[in-house]
Amino acid sequence: MFAVADTCFLIDWARWRRRDALFGVFRTVFVPESVLGEVRSEATLSWVVESMAQGRLSLFTETPDLIEEARSLVERTRLVPGLRGVDLPEAVCLVAGRRWRYVVLTENRGVLMAADILEEYRGVRVWRALEVIAAALRSGVIASSRPAEVFAEYEEDTKHFFPRRDLEAVLHELGGEA
Amino acid sequence: MSLEERLRKWLELEREAREVRRRMADWDFIRRQPPRLRAALVYYVETGDIRTSAKLSGLELEDFRELLRRANVPVVV
Repeated sequence: MFAVADTCFLIDWARWRRRDALFGVFRTVFVPESVLGEVRSEATLSWVVESMAQGRLSLFTETPDLIEEARSLVERTRLVPGLRGVDLPEAVCLVAGRRWRYVVLTENRGVLMAADILEEYRGVRVWRALEVIAAALRSGVIASSRPAEVFAEYEEDTKHFFPRRDLEAVLHELGGEA
Repeated sequence: MSLEERLRKWLELEREAREVRRRMADWDFIRRQPPRLRAALVYYVETGDIRTSAKLSGLELEDFRELLRRANVPVVV
């Protein structure tokens, strides 16, 4: 399974103690050049570069036609009242996800909304850290008899907060405590 | 589900997320920040829009994310 990650996802995920679990879930995670350009901190950058050197993250070079479609998506998200606008790096990920059936990794609500609201992007699989961790637990990439603690670790390390309703649903499905 | 229903669902999710951000934020820390950073943090608490907030702050996206951590403002997604 392939994925493409946006900046908001990477800069949180890179802080997690179990961050390499990502590569047990996905064979390759693509990082668009526009996303890589936004990664600035030494800690995130060193993890990204190290993972690229190991062939687990791969640089994704945007083509002119992909950029054009992404720009059009950026505009469309600003035309629908109530829909949060997405910016170019996230739009690139969503377009790549649609074209090549990559899972789009994001923590950007605009991307989640666009994939729910805009008809032609509705089939794109968009995962947050919540879904990635759930997949890692489900497949045994992360072995834990206490899934709730794994999600709590993520929240502690990144200062991310999983919506409780979503977290409870995932924990219920995993058979852990809600 | 109609477009209106979908948008209503997202509006409700965002309302819940805003409540979490408001509740968890370290308001003393936020009040101690220079005006530009303070305004950007408050904007983020109210909207959850990290890109616009980062632009308002004058910081790079990743640096603004770090500021959110220091202000104990969670990303709720």
